[in-house]
Amino acid sequence: VKDRYRNRIELLQGTLDLLILETLRWGPQHGYGISRAIQSQSGDVLQVDTGSLYPALHRLERKKWIAADWKISENKQRVRAYRLTPKGRTQLADERSRWEQLSLAIAGILNSAKREFET
Amino acid sequence: MKWPWRKRFDELDEEIRAHIEMSAHDREERGESADEARAAARREFGNVGLVKETTRDAWGYVWIERLWQDVQYGLRMLRRSPGFTMVAVLTLALGIGANTAIFTILNSAALRLLPVPHADQLVTIGQNVQAANGSLHRNIHDDETFVSYAEYKAYAQENSVFSGLLAYSSFTDTTLGGDKPRPILGTVTSCNYFDVLQIRPALGRFFADSDCAAPGESPVVVLGYAAWQQIFAADHAIIGKTITLNRTLFRVIGVAPREFEGTEVMASAFWAPLTMEKAFQPADDYVADDFLSWLALIGRLKPGVSTRHAAANLSVVASGLNSLQPGRITTVTLGRATRLSAPSMRTQLLTIGWLVMAAVGLVLLLACANIASLLLARAAGRHKEIAVRLTLGASRWRLIRQLLTESLLLSLIGGATGALASFWSVAAMVRLAVAHLPISPEFALSLNVNSDFHTWFYAFGLSILTACFFGLAPALRSSRTDLTLAMKDDGAQSQTGTASAGRLRNSLVGIQVAVCMLLLLASGLLLHGLYHAQTLDPGFRMKGVTSVTYNLAMSGYTQPRAAAFQQELREGVAALPGVDGVAQSAVIPLSGSHDGTGFSTPNKSKTYQVEYNDVSPSFFPLLSIPILQGRNFTEAEAETGAHVLILTQSTARRFFPGQNPLGQVLHRDTTDWQVIGLAADTQLADLGNSGKLYVFEPTGPDSQGDLNLMAHSGPDPSITKEISAVIGDLDPHLAFTVAPLADNLEQWRAPARVASALSVILGALALLLSSIGIYGMVSYGVSRRVREIGIRRALGADNGDVMWLVIRQAMLPVAMGALVGIVLCAVVSSIFSAILFGVSPLDPGSFVSMPAFLLAVALLACYIPARRAMRVDPIVALRYE
Repeated sequence: VKDRYRNRIELLQGTLDLLILETLRWGPQHGYGISRAIQSQSGDVLQVDTGSLYPALHRLERKKWIAADWKISENKQRVRAYRLTPKGRTQLADERSRWEQLSLAIAGILNSAKREFET
Repeated sequence: MKWPWRKRFDELDEEIRAHIEMSAHDREERGESADEARAAARREFGNVGLVKETTRDAWGYVWIERLWQDVQYGLRMLRRSPGFTMVAVLTLALGIGANTAIFTILNSAALRLLPVPHADQLVTIGQNVQAANGSLHRNIHDDETFVSYAEYKAYAQENSVFSGLLAYSSFTDTTLGGDKPRPILGTVTSCNYFDVLQIRPALGRFFADSDCAAPGESPVVVLGYAAWQQIFAADHAIIGKTITLNRTLFRVIGVAPREFEGTEVMASAFWAPLTMEKAFQPADDYVADDFLSWLALIGRLKPGVSTRHAAANLSVVASGLNSLQPGRITTVTLGRATRLSAPSMRTQLLTIGWLVMAAVGLVLLLACANIASLLLARAAGRHKEIAVRLTLGASRWRLIRQLLTESLLLSLIGGATGALASFWSVAAMVRLAVAHLPISPEFALSLNVNSDFHTWFYAFGLSILTACFFGLAPALRSSRTDLTLAMKDDGAQSQTGTASAGRLRNSLVGIQVAVCMLLLLASGLLLHGLYHAQTLDPGFRMKGVTSVTYNLAMSGYTQPRAAAFQQELREGVAALPGVDGVAQSAVIPLSGSHDGTGFSTPNKSKTYQVEYNDVSPSFFPLLSIPILQGRNFTEAEAETGAHVLILTQSTARRFFPGQNPLGQVLHRDTTDWQVIGLAADTQLADLGNSGKLYVFEPTGPDSQGDLNLMAHSGPDPSITKEISAVIGDLDPHLAFTVAPLADNLEQWRAPARVASALSVILGALALLLSSIGIYGMVSYGVSRRVREIGIRRALGADNGDVMWLVIRQAMLPVAMGALVGIVLCAVVSSIFSAILFGVSPLDPGSFVSMPAFLLAVALLACYIPARRAMRVDPIVALRYE
């Protein structure tokens, strides 16, 4: 039981942080909202596991990249809304460029492999 | 209990509740029914408990509360099985307590700093002198790392790192004169001794520099507090009075405070300036000998000076000393100032200490193995509980932590009990051990065996280590559970993992048996050695022989005066009714003192270190030692100290293999000695060893101060009184002891007795623990296999088959463990050889009887539960479970 969660956390570590920070760039959002946003923005490809989401949120909060306040939602529910801090904004820029480098690099490798495969 | 972060717990709960409600709300808007939406939202969210737990992990400080929960839960579990808890705690208390007690003693001798102000600034300095090539002349007294007076002065004057450097020589055997002379132990010191140690006198004053100005000029003495109380009845007017130490009058100038008993393991009864050394050893001049190792050094570092800096500075002084002798290489080592600073004693005591510690540690290991298998059996019972907790989302690591917490609790409770018990009893234990060792009761041991930071830390650390030792394997094992199988009731009794748990239990039993075998064999060997020592024939006559021990040289006699005294004493004792022989001997047989020297063979090709003894011609007939070849000394030779030798048989064989030793010449320094006789091998020097290199020289004018007397008489016990009266008439101020020669056997047997007693206690304990272990393993195994046994019986197996099945499986690990134990013991048993008195360290008697004994006990431990297996009714067994 435990192992299933452990695997997924490891898989998403870092990437999930980046997705959360990116989602919060558009304004404060609560945990459920973040998971919905990631899911819909990815065209339902990415399902965010709550067992990864909440530890990640609290970890980012501890690192002071995001901050949380209690707010009342549209349907009168008390929710804990997270927002990006200035420190988190810098971090997001860093992570984003690192991610772009990484995906470019991987894409390069895959493309060359593909060409070789085809020829 | 309300924790400050409870609020965050509630907030997390609310956050998650909000998540699920929003999710359900969305689903309802999409048209699902309220109930469906709620259930789906919950399902989608996943395991709430686990999410909460992993999220809390991100906070980083909740472990404190977890720990508290684990402790509470652990205590509850322990309370629920009081029998198990009691056995485990008692076992651990015994194991940890015994270890702590031994450590406390080692701590007080080797780790605890001297009880003086700012003891952390004190360092001991050991000097090592080596020759670049060839040999270097150096006299060694006590310990070769000691320094001479001249060297001490060089270190004291030329160093720049000490605010003061003191020198002392302990264990100065002294006779305190008076109406009833008595031996006391004192210390001669440099005159800054008390100043460097920063001790204030309880009475009077300590030494001034002028007391050490010139050799022999200042006979002043400081008394130890205990000596002042016991010998001088705490006389406050003692200051200014004189006391007699070895015939020299000393003026008492002060009394040391109660808490200061000196800088060595034995309490000092007095301190005198080291310039007065000749008053204690009239025959030698220690102070004037520039190459005599006799002074121990302690320095007080100036503030801010590190030990390394001090060592560097002293090395410079040491290399300056190299110019004293050509080819000399001098190095220094610095150490902390403890009771056991002298390296030779330190090695000796620590070797024994660690040995005992290892034995006690093995018993603790045994206890650990026992508790581990108890825990394993218990874990099997808690199988379902653990499975349920895993299913509800507890992480495996969390469960392991929880199980380990229980183990830690057990071992901390046991450890605390054991440590407290040992702190209370260690002083009594030391007194008991000392009472059984050959130490003169006048010489009090000065050890502070109270608990301190070291001992508490040791007990605590040991408890933690112990818990890991016995708790880790069962915790890892029992948290690895196949959930689906475990949850399906007990039907299958979860066959998975049984094999690995069984292997673990088997190896635990194997370890126990190995350790137990080691301890049992050791105690068997030691017992055999002790028995041997009790019944040993030393090869010479002891019955009816009385030894009279005194030291004229140390009592201030000159050689001519000593010769006159010896003559009168000999005649006086010989004239006593019943006495039919007297003999003189520098070393009384088996007294534990040894004189050694070097002899080389004719063309100086080889030099042997041999023990020697100055004896009168009557020595051999008195002790019934046959002269096998050649002749005895003559009276004339004993009168003049002729350079003739009698060798023991094995000595002759070593010196002159295949030749006739008679008439051969041996060299000592510049003198030649002719071999005139061959005596039978006897155990004069060491009990149980007759093969030592040993030579006899005749007494002579130079040895008169060293000689002792032996007399042979009928069985009249009043002989000791009569001999005492003769000495009292000759010199009322001489300290002496008169005792049957056979009493000397005691000091050889005493260590053997203490060692055997200890090893028998440990061996018995080990046997008890491991038979409980074996019993537990077998009965647990039987209870788990009731069904299998039932089937076998239903298929026609008879009692014998079942019994054989159970015993064969149980005895396999026992036999393996026993084998390992035997091999281990054979490897290490030679360390006991000193107290085995000639019994071989591979003594076949012990190596057969002890394994047989252990196997018999193991068989019995198997048999009792195996009988239960025989009574299994197949019908009942098949319905069972």
